[in-house]
Amino acid sequence: MSSPSEAPNLSPAVNKLSVANTSTGKTAIEFRVALGFLIIVALIPAVVRNDYWLGVFIVSMYFAMLAGAWNLLAGYAGQFSLAPATFAMIGAYATGLLGTTFGVPPLLGIVAAVVVAGLTGLLLGRIVLRLKGPYLALTTLSFAEIMRLVASNSIDITRGDLGLAVPALLSNRIGWYYIFLGVLAVLLVAFYALLRSKAGLFLQAIRDDEVAAARSGVDVVFWKTAAFAMSAAASGFAGALYAHFAELVTPELGLIGQTGLIVSMAVIGGMGTLAGPLIAAFLVYVLSEWLRDVGGYQLVVFSALVVIFARFFRDGLWGLARGAVQRWRRS
Amino acid sequence: MSAINVDLAVNGLITGLFYALMAIGLSLIFGILRIVNFAHGEFYMVGAYAYTLIALVLGVSVWVALPLAFLVGALVGWITERTLMRPLYAGYTSWGLMRDEYAVIVTFGLSLFLINLVDKVIGPYAYRGPPLVDTSRIVLGPILISGHRLLAAGIAIAVILITAALIKWSFWGKQIRAVSQNRLGASLAGIDTARTSAIVFMLSGGLAAFSGALLSPVINASPDVGAFPAIKSYIIVVLGGMGSVPGSIVASLALGVIESFGAVYLSYQYRDGFGLVLLMLFLLFRPQGLFGEKGREV
Repeated sequence: MSSPSEAPNLSPAVNKLSVANTSTGKTAIEFRVALGFLIIVALIPAVVRNDYWLGVFIVSMYFAMLAGAWNLLAGYAGQFSLAPATFAMIGAYATGLLGTTFGVPPLLGIVAAVVVAGLTGLLLGRIVLRLKGPYLALTTLSFAEIMRLVASNSIDITRGDLGLAVPALLSNRIGWYYIFLGVLAVLLVAFYALLRSKAGLFLQAIRDDEVAAARSGVDVVFWKTAAFAMSAAASGFAGALYAHFAELVTPELGLIGQTGLIVSMAVIGGMGTLAGPLIAAFLVYVLSEWLRDVGGYQLVVFSALVVIFARFFRDGLWGLARGAVQRWRRS
Repeated sequence: MSAINVDLAVNGLITGLFYALMAIGLSLIFGILRIVNFAHGEFYMVGAYAYTLIALVLGVSVWVALPLAFLVGALVGWITERTLMRPLYAGYTSWGLMRDEYAVIVTFGLSLFLINLVDKVIGPYAYRGPPLVDTSRIVLGPILISGHRLLAAGIAIAVILITAALIKWSFWGKQIRAVSQNRLGASLAGIDTARTSAIVFMLSGGLAAFSGALLSPVINASPDVGAFPAIKSYIIVVLGGMGSVPGSIVASLALGVIESFGAVYLSYQYRDGFGLVLLMLFLLFRPQGLFGEKGREV
């Protein structure tokens, strides 16, 4: 589990296995930082009263949920899916269609969306069980494209690219802000509980060496499928919330570009860390809205950052920050 | 076979030729590095822009712009290989763990970067490339075809044949095949595998760009124009067997014909979906494709 940058820590002199060096200890620190960050986010409406900027933060939270869910699957379980945005789209359509066609109330619709997205994830996870690396990426990518094609071509049901008007849950921006924040906090706690349990170790063992994990008694088939289902359910939750917030569902929610944004956030923040993708989601989305007025080069900058981080700073911003703290402590 | 079927078959085959130009490069890269280049569509986009801008802005003849587009694509391919692909094989031992994931992220990021860069620098508007000839339609028996498309198809055939011959018989081609068979073995036999990878990326980028240039009068150059041909070429390399050049040529022609008939006889809206379904089925049940070798892992 040790990433290259931590290799020196394994030398006998330093290897006392302090809490910070164990996987669960690291996760605990990340969890505390993430919670602290969410508390700051909770205080933002005290300063920011502008509806537009509150909306920007709400969308950031939407992306933070998706980046977190994708990180669980890709960063912790090592299953590199290219369909995170698709599950958000599936969740959004699930509650949207249930609401408009059958008059299901939004709250029930959101629950149904989580179930539908989770089951779809379970199915996909089951299908791609034996695929790895480029094959897995291609299969999930084509799954994503097929789903989007179906959504935009089933015009009789989904109204295609025109989008589906979804009933609003409430019209108060501040209310929405805290709903998203609450759900984000719940997801964060759930991910943390999962990673602290044995399941977290199983997932990371599968990521690091599937054969060795199976050999040591990890039920690889079960946990890989479970990782897909959990990640998809969380993405579906985010998508369903977003549908009622935006009051509109379009196939654009499942665009490859959206997946690109989610992947960028996780990579820039640091894959396989709890706090990195969360903080990076805010950083990337809020900064890109802010930079939009100054030349609009935000997407160029962020996509370049993805490449640079993947190439030179594999542990992301979180890894950089941790390295800086360690150096500061040593001196 | 009725007239419409002949027309569909011929048009499908021609579409397949353009797919093949894209897919060969992707397949070669997979053969040599065992990765899928998710920025392949952007090489195509770069080629479409290079051809269109060189011909329209500089006012150069299209016959000069076409090879220049190839060179621009080759340059982008070479830079990509030098800056981003080296860690995949050049002795970074700690990179072994997430190697496949690195390749996916970095090429995916490169794809987003190129799209957004072109979108900002050149603009989101579509540019129509100048056609090679102005004849708008030629009637050959039951087949109706534009002069540009016919000429472009002829050029595509020539380029595909030259590429296939180079890979089969030339010195570099033999090196490429040796490295894709066994990288370590090839380097022990004195082949410079780093240079071979660079050549493959240049060839791949050049061919994709050439394909974009040939099609730019039909599809119009815009920043996200590469997405569709890229997805088609993923489908093709899986169908034909990852890393197999003859396989990808056959699969390209097959996909072109399948789509051409499927759009008329099955469903027009879902014409782009057939290939994707095939891709998933192949990956699940016959991952070695039609012509690929069955891989073994120790």
